Amino acid sequence: MRDVSAGTFEQRAHVGLQTPGLAAALGRAMDHRAVQRTQAFAGTDEPAVRAAGEAIRAHTVANLDHYLERFAENAATRGTKVVFATTAAEAVEYVLRVLRDHGAELVVKGKSMVSEEIGLNPALGSAGVEVIETDLGEYIVQLAGETPAHITTPAVHKTRGQVRDLFNRAHGADLSDDPAELTRFARGVLREKFLAADVGITGVNFAVAETGSFTIVTNEGNARMCTSLPRVHIALMGMERIVPSFRELSLMLPLLTASAAGLGVTAYVTFVNGPRQPEEPDGPEEVHVVVLDNGRSAILGSEFHSVMHCIRCGACLNVCPVFRRVGGHAYGAVYCGPIGAVLAPLLDGFNAAGDLPHASSLCVACTEVCPVNIPLHECLLGLRREIARSRATRGERFAFAWWGRLWGNARTYRWSARLARIGQLPLVRRRRIRRAPFPLSRWTSARDMPALARGSFRERWKRTEGRGP
Amino acid sequence: MDRRAFLGVVRRRLAGVAAPDLPSDLPPTFATGDGRLFDRFAAELEIAGGEAIHVRLDELSARVAVRVAGCATVVVAPVVDHREAVLEGLAHAGCRLLEPGRDGAARADLGVTGAVLGVAATGSVLLAAAQGAPRTVGLLPPFHLVVLPEDRLVPGFEELFEQMPALAARSSNLVLVTGPSRTADIEMTLVRGVHGPGRVTVLVVAA
Repeated sequence: MRDVSAGTFEQRAHVGLQTPGLAAALGRAMDHRAVQRTQAFAGTDEPAVRAAGEAIRAHTVANLDHYLERFAENAATRGTKVVFATTAAEAVEYVLRVLRDHGAELVVKGKSMVSEEIGLNPALGSAGVEVIETDLGEYIVQLAGETPAHITTPAVHKTRGQVRDLFNRAHGADLSDDPAELTRFARGVLREKFLAADVGITGVNFAVAETGSFTIVTNEGNARMCTSLPRVHIALMGMERIVPSFRELSLMLPLLTASAAGLGVTAYVTFVNGPRQPEEPDGPEEVHVVVLDNGRSAILGSEFHSVMHCIRCGACLNVCPVFRRVGGHAYGAVYCGPIGAVLAPLLDGFNAAGDLPHASSLCVACTEVCPVNIPLHECLLGLRREIARSRATRGERFAFAWWGRLWGNARTYRWSARLARIGQLPLVRRRRIRRAPFPLSRWTSARDMPALARGSFRERWKRTEGRGP
Repeated sequence: MDRRAFLGVVRRRLAGVAAPDLPSDLPPTFATGDGRLFDRFAAELEIAGGEAIHVRLDELSARVAVRVAGCATVVVAPVVDHREAVLEGLAHAGCRLLEPGRDGAARADLGVTGAVLGVAATGSVLLAAAQGAPRTVGLLPPFHLVVLPEDRLVPGFEELFEQMPALAARSSNLVLVTGPSRTADIEMTLVRGVHGPGRVTVLVVAA
């Protein structure tokens, strides 16, 4: 499953760029999302709503220890078991223990990026537990043996024909490529699984500290099924996904769904307040919440603190010119797009994901749509700086130090320009440099460089005394 | 795994991070409308793919009978407002009642529930798991019929979320339902009725 993350971003992006139809399909889907998003904010004061969202997130994350503690205490009074996992391995181990305690053989899963992050499905598979993804997009991705290509639209890279082939192969069916027929078929298959499952596993969109509740939003209803039918419900939650009270949730929920799907509200918003109460006729007997750190606490208080305000809406993916061409798999990380390019190096380390902050044109479209105003482009720049600092060889350091010194002085700068004007002569073809020797070839292999003009502005000014050419 | 150690790490990292206050006033997240709550409710629910019908109590059973035509089997939550009138309408339409448990709900063509309240700004109804209100009745059948007294309509999220702490204290599971289940996961093509009901009708009974 991790095979997709092999190689560098450049190599993986190449695969994406050469996949027929991928960029067109992504472009269509992402345009659609971007238009829906704009419509969802119509009639509201978008800057004011986003500023309030930012303030709520900033307050909550700055007091995260306090709100997590209150959440855990209040949830416990309702009978919810809240556990804290520092590492992915601890989280997986806890889930496995709960499954063993209940002799679980079949698990149905709602959509959860945290479960991807901790590698839950492969771990459960190795333990002999059957896990079925029940979000339609995730189910398609699971059948294909892949990972999600988008935070909120995991199968955005699959065509209807590919989905038909996957379903027909997996179930020996003879379906057409009509999305309605394919969806109806999946409903039937997954309904059986829901009714037979021992345990339901979901993510968490927001936990509510004041009541120990948590919410899950879906349009399909998979979270409703996972929190209604199986005997046990396990929810996986990134530790920053919390609000102080329902008052703040009244703003954060529509902010999330408008940014993610262009909806003021999704078809379903499930509020889980605890396990089934004695007088209630159905529902899970146990509810567990696993709160995951897995590298998040190291981001708190750092230069990149604000990235912990993220609510995982995926709006920055939809507008990113890089994401729209290469697709989510090119990032080779659980989280993709601009937010992934910031999160992955911080969570997985510079060795694994150090090239991702360069997968950006720094056009700032991501920052402009972020519902909680995270300065994503500044984070990308900051990471580039950190990564360069940690990786620079002595030669590079020496070269850049001298370059800085030469260009920091007006006279030596002008000399260097004059020298370059002469030095470029063998390379210039029709006022452009298309090919240059190493190390400049790294640059010209992907783009042309305009040739330096014959004279600088200052020189021309001096010659003409400002009277034009 | 230890909670104190976990939160201790978080606390140490946050030392020195400025903590702004929560905003005292929250800006509205939905356009506010005037006019009758039901009209807004019906318009929003229609956009979401559902339908809302305004009925007087004396015509409720007749309207139920028309709406459920073609449903052979039905599960009805034990607690539903105006349950007698609803049952009369179902009987009139020839619907066979199944036990409102999980098996019945999984087989039925129609599920009938009440709702705690309705939200006009979004066309949503709030369902609460409770004695006499199983989760499965409004979830498993392909058609969900909701009976909602008109005086339980509230204007927007602000009013809804003001009530949430009290509601959460009484029920282990609340679901805000806005129209039918839907997906756009295959080539962004809208398809209704994935896991939940593909058809949602709310009968709003005049006070």
